[in-house]
Amino acid sequence: MLNNKIKFSLGIITLVLTLMVSSCEDVLDKEPITELTSEQAFENEESYEQFMAKIYGGLAINGQDLDDADIQGIDGHFSNYVRLYYNLQELSTDEAIIAWNDGTIHDLHNQVWTPANEFIAAMYYRIYFQIGLVNQFLRETTDDQLNSRGVDDALKAKIAEFRAEARFMRALSYWHGIDFFGAIPFVTEDDVVGNFFPEQKSRTEVFNFIESELKEIEPQLKAPRGNELGRADKGAAWMLLAKLYINAEVYTNTDRYADAMTYINNVIGGGYSLGPEYNYLFLADNESNGSQNETIFSVRFDGINITGWGGTTYITHAAVGGTMDPNIFGIDGGWGGLRTTSTFVEKFGADVDALNSGLGNQSDWGLVGSATINGWDSPDMEMYETSTDNYALYADLVAGEIKFRFNEDWGVNYGDDGLDGTLDAGGANIPVAEDGVYFITMDLGSLTYTISPFSGDKREMFHTDGQSLEIENPFDFSQGYAITKWRNVDVNGNRGVDGSGTFCDIDFPVFRLADAYLMYAEVFLRGGGGDAGTAVGYINMIRERSYGNTGGNINPGALTEEFILAERSRELYWESHRRTDLIRFNQFSENGVWPWKGGIIQGQTTSDIRDLYPIPAADIIANPNLTQNAGY
Amino acid sequence: MKQIRQLVLGILFLIPLVMSAQDIIKGKVIDATGMELPGVSVVVKGTDKGTATDFDGKFELSIDDANAIITFSFIGYEQQEVAASAEMNIVMEESSESLDEVIIIGYGQTTKKDATGSVEKVSVEEFNGGAILSPEQLIAGKTAGVNVIPASGKPGSTGTIKIRGGNSSLSANNNPLVVIDGVPMDQEDDNAPGLSTVNPNDIESFVILKDASATAIYGSRASAGVILITTKTGHRNAPLRAEFNSYLSVGNRENQVDVLNAEQFAAAVQSTGIDSAISLLGSDNTNWQDEIYRTAYGTDNNLTLTQGFENSSFRASLGYTYQEGLVKTDDFKRKSGSLNYRHRLFDDTFKIDFNIRGTVSENNNADDGARGNALTMDPTQPVYSGSTLYGGYWEWLDADGTPNAQSPNNPVGVLNQNNSFGSTERYIGNLKLDYDFPLEGLKANLNLGFDYGETNGYWDVPATSASGFDEKGTSGTWNNLRRSTLADFYVNYVHEFEQPHKIDIMLGTSYQDFYRENQTYQISGLGAVRETEFATTNSLLSYFTRLNYAYDNRYLVTFTYRRDGSSRFSPENRWGNFFSGAVAWSIADEDFLRDSQTISTLKLRIGYGETGQQEIGSDFGYLPVYTPGQNNVRYQFGNRFINTLRPEGYDSEIKWEESATSNIGIDYGFLNDRITGSLEYYIRKTTDVLSTVSPPAGSNLSNSLFTNIGDLENSGIEFSVNADIFQKENFVWNVNFNATYLQNEITKLNAVEDPESPGLAVGGIRGGVGNNIQTQQVGQAQFSYLVYKQVYDSDGNPLQGVYEDLNGDGQWTDLDKRIYKNPNPDYLLGLSSYMNYKNWDLNFVLRASLGNYTYNNIASSEGNSTSLHFNGTNRNIHDSYLDTGFGEVQLWSDYYIQDASFLKMDNAVLGYNFNELKDGEVILRIYTSVQNAFTVTDYEGLDPEISGGIDNNFYPRPRTFLLGFNINF
Repeated sequence: MLNNKIKFSLGIITLVLTLMVSSCEDVLDKEPITELTSEQAFENEESYEQFMAKIYGGLAINGQDLDDADIQGIDGHFSNYVRLYYNLQELSTDEAIIAWNDGTIHDLHNQVWTPANEFIAAMYYRIYFQIGLVNQFLRETTDDQLNSRGVDDALKAKIAEFRAEARFMRALSYWHGIDFFGAIPFVTEDDVVGNFFPEQKSRTEVFNFIESELKEIEPQLKAPRGNELGRADKGAAWMLLAKLYINAEVYTNTDRYADAMTYINNVIGGGYSLGPEYNYLFLADNESNGSQNETIFSVRFDGINITGWGGTTYITHAAVGGTMDPNIFGIDGGWGGLRTTSTFVEKFGADVDALNSGLGNQSDWGLVGSATINGWDSPDMEMYETSTDNYALYADLVAGEIKFRFNEDWGVNYGDDGLDGTLDAGGANIPVAEDGVYFITMDLGSLTYTISPFSGDKREMFHTDGQSLEIENPFDFSQGYAITKWRNVDVNGNRGVDGSGTFCDIDFPVFRLADAYLMYAEVFLRGGGGDAGTAVGYINMIRERSYGNTGGNINPGALTEEFILAERSRELYWESHRRTDLIRFNQFSENGVWPWKGGIIQGQTTSDIRDLYPIPAADIIANPNLTQNAGY
Repeated sequence: MKQIRQLVLGILFLIPLVMSAQDIIKGKVIDATGMELPGVSVVVKGTDKGTATDFDGKFELSIDDANAIITFSFIGYEQQEVAASAEMNIVMEESSESLDEVIIIGYGQTTKKDATGSVEKVSVEEFNGGAILSPEQLIAGKTAGVNVIPASGKPGSTGTIKIRGGNSSLSANNNPLVVIDGVPMDQEDDNAPGLSTVNPNDIESFVILKDASATAIYGSRASAGVILITTKTGHRNAPLRAEFNSYLSVGNRENQVDVLNAEQFAAAVQSTGIDSAISLLGSDNTNWQDEIYRTAYGTDNNLTLTQGFENSSFRASLGYTYQEGLVKTDDFKRKSGSLNYRHRLFDDTFKIDFNIRGTVSENNNADDGARGNALTMDPTQPVYSGSTLYGGYWEWLDADGTPNAQSPNNPVGVLNQNNSFGSTERYIGNLKLDYDFPLEGLKANLNLGFDYGETNGYWDVPATSASGFDEKGTSGTWNNLRRSTLADFYVNYVHEFEQPHKIDIMLGTSYQDFYRENQTYQISGLGAVRETEFATTNSLLSYFTRLNYAYDNRYLVTFTYRRDGSSRFSPENRWGNFFSGAVAWSIADEDFLRDSQTISTLKLRIGYGETGQQEIGSDFGYLPVYTPGQNNVRYQFGNRFINTLRPEGYDSEIKWEESATSNIGIDYGFLNDRITGSLEYYIRKTTDVLSTVSPPAGSNLSNSLFTNIGDLENSGIEFSVNADIFQKENFVWNVNFNATYLQNEITKLNAVEDPESPGLAVGGIRGGVGNNIQTQQVGQAQFSYLVYKQVYDSDGNPLQGVYEDLNGDGQWTDLDKRIYKNPNPDYLLGLSSYMNYKNWDLNFVLRASLGNYTYNNIASSEGNSTSLHFNGTNRNIHDSYLDTGFGEVQLWSDYYIQDASFLKMDNAVLGYNFNELKDGEVILRIYTSVQNAFTVTDYEGLDPEISGGIDNNFYPRPRTFLLGFNINF
């Protein structure tokens, strides 16, 4: 009886346990519901284009939803590529300073950043996120993969284009990588995704990789302006090569200016033309208002479809505060952050000197009078001899009167009786109606003169009401002139597509023709070839757009490295070129002073270790193959 | 009256009650010391007729058969069977030891005496009283090593339970596993998983499994401890009883955040000398905190019916709770119902236990931003503008008359204009089948359970409000769904060999499947639509066994083994094995102590166990997957907007986090167990800690990977004592005191060890975006603060922006930050007192936490004069500015890391019992209580007890007074 009980009991238990053990283990093989496995993802033919959109969009958007973030360890909207690129390229220079308390952001302008700086880290990881995306795309689109998925020839052709463009995007991010960090970890599609330690390659090795990649994909890319707006073409690859070569001395200690000239010329011959107005380049409709003809490569934004608090939404909002009217900027309200330093403001003041230096030799003829800098006392404002008996001067005058005199003495002087444009010896004072810069000429041959208001540089876009020029407290938005360059309105002043004014439409120009023109002049000066006439011609094309006339044109004599650096700043400020430019001209760390550089109000020079950002502490810890940049 | 009662209840439950001519028996039940015993079950043997004794131990029962046998039973006492007589006086004998009280443990039960692990039970008699909306409050301060951080003041929110510091993992999830009637809750749910939906009145007991030898039977989910909740059931052979309890409560703020008043504010703005700011000053005197807070009323009502029959019993309850929040427009309603039904068949060899409980909660959510706005809103401005724009509320406007988008909105306007409503339905149920095999001692148990929760909500910000102006109003909905299903099966064999050997073997398997999804939808008045959708699933399959061996009841050995498979890991790493072993020696049962009058209990326990953690955040962290992008983050090629597709980072190697805990403890009892308690030491080493780290750049697709990164160590000492100080006929006083010392340290991090590294930044704060104040660093406690060392002037005032150059490089950079304090307490103390004098009872709970520091983020972000004026508007600031005089924000000054040690009286309850009503047939209790009676602390913020240690937008906990009654008939 007992035996039966045991048998019965154990029999049932064995049965139940066997059933449960044997039938269940496959219940642990779950499949994602919202996310897609790679097999599921690429069943859909559009996935390849969607992946490509992510690679390009990685520069514009923060994640897979407004509040999602591709990069962790920092606020999602801070980790936007364009926003970080702007911060690292601009906040560290004289062009921009910020009022906020976000983490270590002030260390950028103060040039006291450390390897723990989260903005530097976020840029670094954003670069590697892009590189990772491209590598994964290349792994997912090998011939074997495509064949195994039965992809047809038409789609294969399209994917081949995508692969070339993906490699361009990887080259672009690797360029940013060596520009910021020097020797960096190197991975390609041949590596597998995991938790390994990538090797650190020297700046030169990565430089060589970028160069060879760009040259290899060049034939596969579409002709300049031949691709859809927002996608890379040959022009973009040429411009990137030109950028690489013009900075080659910094990156590899070997100059490559002749190579730079080759690709600059390719770009200039690529069918681009300057946009109609300088300020149109930075408006909500800059993809259609004519500015697009100048665009070589841009990051696209849209207030409804490409949103986030990075990109041009950031640059536009952060620059508005104080007495600025947000409506004029097409936004819901300013964030009161970004301004500029007096050093940058003076770039436009110093302009008069640059213009004058291009006129000819200084003469003994000068301006005197209540409108001049010293009133009726000497020294006079000396004019330049442009040719025999012809003198000219750009002069910053106040309302009042002037006369011409020789050698700071009333012995020989001219005025104008009856204001008929003819010079009269010892004649009546010539009135100057209002303050401003004037272009003044004097012809002693015909005894005539002209005095015309100088139209001014339309690139000088400051908001000064309620703003002081100098900055005592970097945290106070009202200190430092505000900049009104980026506005989320179209050419008619209408707000962008997001009616709430939250997100901006302005496409961010990564490369544009005016930059190529300036590079031509610079490479010419640096001995990379070309000729002076062409160089000055290109500069004057830019300046004619800026001045609205030829009044700002320069002569070949004005073409100096100093002028080029200043002109690049005037033309390209707040477009994320400044740090790289300053380093190329050796003005970023050991030379060059601007307010709050080095963390003190009047500014000071810093160590040249600052020419490279440190590799983030987190990666030094995570990857034993890495050596930190010297000095950090 | 009695007939009316039976009639009413009879109709209510459609249960016919047969009345006939009967004999009446009466009597009184006392214990050996002469104390009356209330609640003793008095049942006519072989029938379902019965009653329970009243508070004086008296009973009255009508019987049909004068020769009936009456059974008296009561937990902790020997059951007695006595022939019926008209006047019965029964003396109950304590069962050989009260330690025989049954304690539910995982997949089985034990007794205090037989337990080898650190297991603590808190039963209904010991629960905290007062206005308790969330069950974890029932046990706050009751148990050593268990820290219940009360919920914030937001009605319907749950607190946080941390067992032994809860720091078993660096990952966010340190929630204990909560098992309700055998159904494990989803640990991802919230701080106290599943508890928010259980009516506290339905809970019979909490059993807390602390050490690994006890928790290891729950394997991969047990690292942060296990809480087993048993709900109340009916008892067999018990008459129909009804219990109704109800209270009304009124709550007020204890204090307010110290911001400047209108006069101080005006003076501060004047002193900035900024004309544009001074010109904005108004002439009103508004205390914005007074404007948004109110006196909060609440009520809680419960009706319970129980009845036992010969082979079955049921308990049904209905509850209704309404609680207002301190913040205007905030409220919480909960309707709950539960049913427990037990049935026994085949001579009690087959038991069916069926539980189902459901709650429907509805929340009107006051806007979370209003509390912060009330701190920064200009106190010299009025609440109402006198215009009809923006709902009539005064707002900061731009020059064109439209609301300034960057300034705080009028908090009163935000509360009254914005709507947010959520309703949650949650159902938890299980069916348990127990079968006693013909083979003596062999049992099988099958438990099928489910947990289903659904939340649906909507919100809107009207276009007429200032905050809705830019987008011309926005509205949206959200929906969440969570469900899990469970099947457990185990067999248990208990066999007593010839003395002194006894074995108890359990063998089982379990499968649990989790699914959750959520959707949001949002539309603005401009037509912009935003939708999100997410769904995911995971499952766990387990096999487990436990072997207990006892030698002469003096030497006890337990061994457990669990093998868990989780779908969250790759097939190669899917399975984890978790062992534990423990021995116990009941020294008091040795010859030399057996007859001791002084030492009644003395047991030494030593245990070791391994547990795991599989709450890794992602369900598919080991698989390469792609996430599609939403429509608002597309990219544009030409004129086409293309949705994006992102490959996710993954770690195909990810594996279980494992904790190994060693525990040594002594249970003691003196003077016939009038004084009992225990002393324990534990050390828990966690390896392969799961956390989010940055993998080497370039090696993966994300810079954030959830992976196994390092090791942790937790240790602590726990002490508890229970003393029946007085046990007189008219006066009883019982005190429980417990103390916990605990510490934790990160012992290894990352592939490369570098104690110089700043660690992993955590602990986001306000005042700038993306700022963190805490770090996880090797050699330090978790969540330590990473701050600058403030320099003070000779008067002891902090100097703005002057910090010690700790690394001596002559510069002040973030490298000068150093680890300073952490939010984890060093000591936790709890004291509960229960006093009973005649019909009066008084009990209270005191709790203290020592050595925990809090970062006063409101002071640090708002206590400076730069914050007074921003973007054309003025803002109020924290009054620490009056002490510091800071012009600029100094977020990382250690000045703001403040000692938040405290002593709190969580609640005190005074009650009076009317036991003589209707000859004891009706028991009425009236009570009053105060919650949050007082707090003693040096901390300068609103409340020192803030989970996580960062004080910024805290919802104040009310001080609540209540009046309630409980009637049992």
